[in-house]
Amino acid sequence: MSAPILFIFLPGLMAVALLFVMRQNGWATGLASALCLVLALLAWQMPIDTTIQIGPLSFKVASAIVIFGRRFVLQNTDRAFLTLVYSLGFVWFFGANFARPGRLFWPFGLGMITLLVAAQAVEPFLYAALLIEMAVLLSIPMLNPPGRPVGQGSLRYLIMQTLAVPFILLAGWTSTAIDASPNDPLLLLQGAIFFGLGFALWLAVFPFYTWVPLLTSETNPYVSGFVLSFIPGVVFFMALGFLDTYTWLRDNPNLPTVFQLVGTLMVVTGGIWAAFQNDLKRAFGYAVIFESGFALISLGLHTTVGLEAFATALVPRFLGLVLFAFTLSLFEQAGIKPTLEGVKGSVRRMPFASSALLIAYFSMGGLPLLAGFPIRQAIIEAVAGQSIPLLSWILIGSSSYWAGGFRVLAAMVNAVQPNWEIGEKWFSALMCSAGITAIVLIGLLPGVVLPGLLDLIQVYSHLK
Amino acid sequence: MNFSQAAILAVPILMVTSLVLLVGLDWRGTQIALSIQYAGMFWLVTLSWPVGMAAVKLVVGLMAGAVLATTQPGTNPGETGSLPLSGRIFRVLAALLVWIVIFSTIQPIIGLLHTGLPTGLGGVILMGMGLLQMGMNRQPARVVIGLLTFLSGFEILYAALENSVLVAGLLAAINLGLALVGAYLATAASMEPDI
Repeated sequence: MSAPILFIFLPGLMAVALLFVMRQNGWATGLASALCLVLALLAWQMPIDTTIQIGPLSFKVASAIVIFGRRFVLQNTDRAFLTLVYSLGFVWFFGANFARPGRLFWPFGLGMITLLVAAQAVEPFLYAALLIEMAVLLSIPMLNPPGRPVGQGSLRYLIMQTLAVPFILLAGWTSTAIDASPNDPLLLLQGAIFFGLGFALWLAVFPFYTWVPLLTSETNPYVSGFVLSFIPGVVFFMALGFLDTYTWLRDNPNLPTVFQLVGTLMVVTGGIWAAFQNDLKRAFGYAVIFESGFALISLGLHTTVGLEAFATALVPRFLGLVLFAFTLSLFEQAGIKPTLEGVKGSVRRMPFASSALLIAYFSMGGLPLLAGFPIRQAIIEAVAGQSIPLLSWILIGSSSYWAGGFRVLAAMVNAVQPNWEIGEKWFSALMCSAGITAIVLIGLLPGVVLPGLLDLIQVYSHLK
Repeated sequence: MNFSQAAILAVPILMVTSLVLLVGLDWRGTQIALSIQYAGMFWLVTLSWPVGMAAVKLVVGLMAGAVLATTQPGTNPGETGSLPLSGRIFRVLAALLVWIVIFSTIQPIIGLLHTGLPTGLGGVILMGMGLLQMGMNRQPARVVIGLLTFLSGFEILYAALENSVLVAGLLAAINLGLALVGAYLATAASMEPDI
């Protein structure tokens, strides 16, 4: 037995098996979420490349497997990543039974996770670009379920993600050339440009992010939330891996400035556009852009604090995304159009979903006492120590984003419906309550949960 | 004059096929143009790879074109089918502009990537025309043809830099996957919806 077989091939087989039960939501949910839970627990508890003794039984899980001469490696240092990915998979697949994202969600979603884990495991790095592209291709049928017209957002998403592949492959080729002649300034510039363009397209970085709000507005919010949490999440880790591996890139003096400037532009534009949105699904897209901006800023700090802020922000980010997407799906299922007009008075009809949506929105905005706040505060403090103008722009972006949240709040508590007519299903309400509790608990006790996430960055020893 | 010495002839072939794909014909014409384009691509890839390995790209390209075309029985080719003459002239002019830019900047590009003139020119022309096609079409199958054209151009360039079998295999899988996605997107709206 080897870790790649357990964490890549087993879920891959399950994804194929799910194709046969995808019309039975309960079965699909049960199988996909149970497998993800088991894999998350195994990744958390089971050491790799170490002999494990259970009673008379003794075995060792190898870290590598060779396919067509290429190695897929999952080591002990990858266990935190695997735990995070499969825990999130569990949450998304479990919630899907109530969010009704379409029958393709379970098999294609699990297939996508499998390919993303394979991308993290494959050596050398450049093969990861091709595996991520395959994950993107798998996500397209999920985003555009049968019987619905295809929107421009999906096409733009497909175009942007596919355009990234050549740049990443060329970045890989350039890095090999740089290893041979490390002082060639033209090669260094070429490598930085290929790397920058490739990751900018993948991560939907300014100015390549126009497809994000378009995609969220046209597709099922739960599916778009799933795609937007996994693909950029894993690509961020790949970017860290690239930075950690290549000294020429890590030592580029312009890189932190570029990260900070682009991140700030995303925070400002995402925040301001979110403030003026009437469509909550588009606001969800801008919230994703806003979050990605902060992730870039934290990496651009080029300090241990920045890297730690990036890692610890992952759980609040994913919790915010899943709760936001889940509640938008609940509104759509209840026949409530997710617009400011549509959600007027929704607190009296769907109090749990309305509260959860607001909590998720404000947590992603970094409102005090919610999960996003401790990390946001650390980033803002660190930026304040480096550049006051940048800090001012970040505060403008954040205030605008909050203003958008207060507009949603005002619409939801509007007295257009004076009487309480609660029409929520008890289990959906329970899920919303669990999400709210998790976000508030992390906000109140960040020291309990978040330090565990620092294991995610142990592997990037050169970046600390 | 042998096969590789005449490779520069593949460049005008690629220019014509990509222009035909941009201006738009019915699906039969599109399929033929795409097939010839993959043959031209195969020709240029043989400059860097053994014929047997380069043939993979030709076979995959033909299969991708076939997958896309079989989902369009008897349909018109989308918005390009109803393009007015002025629209077609505009596309030809846009293509001319792209070609002028490429021909005037090709030398530095060849220098950067260390490729020969036919490889560099053929690759960059297909990439440019693919981008143009993606920008000018909204119909899924046409956008996917643009992506396939762009990737074909890239693969011509990349073949000169990397000769790994696994990379070739994965790129082939991506091309086929793109064609399948294009075929799915073209027909998704008419499928049985989720209940």
